[in-house]
Amino acid sequence: MLDYMIYILTFAVGSILGLLYSYKQHGEPFVAVTDFNVPFAAVSTVGWVLGFNSGNVILSAIGFLLAGFVMGERPGYGRKESAVGLIIGIIVYVLLKGNGMM
Amino acid sequence: MNLMAEILIQVVIAFLAGSLLLGLHRKIMARVQKRPGPPIVQHLIHSLKFFFKETAIPKTVSKVFYIGIVFILALIWVVGVIAGPVAHDSLLILFGVYAVYKIVEHNSGSSSGSPYGKLSCVRAVLSAATELPLFAAIVFVYLVTGSMNIGEIIAYQSAHGPLVFTVPLAALMFFMLIITKSPYSPFAITKDKVLISGFETEHFGFLRGFMHFSEAIAWYVLLWVFLTIFFGPLNAVGYLIGMIAITFITAFINATTPLLSPNHSVMTQITIGAICFFGTVLMIFTGVVA
Repeated sequence: MLDYMIYILTFAVGSILGLLYSYKQHGEPFVAVTDFNVPFAAVSTVGWVLGFNSGNVILSAIGFLLAGFVMGERPGYGRKESAVGLIIGIIVYVLLKGNGMM
Repeated sequence: MNLMAEILIQVVIAFLAGSLLLGLHRKIMARVQKRPGPPIVQHLIHSLKFFFKETAIPKTVSKVFYIGIVFILALIWVVGVIAGPVAHDSLLILFGVYAVYKIVEHNSGSSSGSPYGKLSCVRAVLSAATELPLFAAIVFVYLVTGSMNIGEIIAYQSAHGPLVFTVPLAALMFFMLIITKSPYSPFAITKDKVLISGFETEHFGFLRGFMHFSEAIAWYVLLWVFLTIFFGPLNAVGYLIGMIAITFITAFINATTPLLSPNHSVMTQITIGAICFFGTVLMIFTGVVA
């Protein structure tokens, strides 16, 4: 169970860091952002893919930290990027499992 | 692994997972109501924040009781984690944990000396109506599996399939309890907004922090027990998906349902409980349940 505790802890820490970072970047009142932030989508994708598929506690923990960082951004930011990263992470997981690599 | 380390790890997981799920609950409710809502991590941040806030103690409180009750609240849900996820022990211990939780809710309100807390304390007695369906659900699980032990119930399900297909109405009764315990529930009469924060109104600073800590663990434990005794042996991904799904469902229900008045709340719970009880008895006598 120690590995699950590490994953959930790093995800929570990543979320808090993401929230602090995005409030520093965007101080304005709530706006529903329609732009797609490619760098954050890449961070989220790397995070979710590593988190679900690395098979290594340290790499998965780093993955969940990155995934949490994007997902934890202030309301209105990071939603689409998280969705893209999560979907790609799940697709990679299913493909690897289908090929018997996990 | 060392038992103490196992308990510590499970309590940390319960607190973090419960906090994130409660944050998700608020987020979904907000989205249903077309509000942006707080970040998912907000409940966790709130809980941590309260531990560093100034703790004021009102003059009207019964001091020892007022302070002691929050530690008892945290302790009983830690016992819930030990009896459930750690030891896979008897369901009766978890029933006892829930019964004591109701008493603590009651006493937390009465010890504050505040009229809001006292009214919430009276309503806590009424809201004990949820324990009847809970007890009935546990009895049906016992009748089908022949055991109160969670480990043996898991073993039964791995051989005969999930109990939700065998006794679906008992699962519905347990789900009623989960709806009742969820934030902003139509049955949450002890935390009605006319009572400010109900029995929590007069608890500030780290005392409120302990209450948030207990709420998060309670949510995790209830979801864990429900998934374990009705959905069979699950792995970590199964628990994660199940917990998120139940949080989604309860958030949708709570976002679209007004809070019931105390008498309507109790009557609704008892009516649904009675229908499910007699429905399950009928299923057993007609041979639908083997």
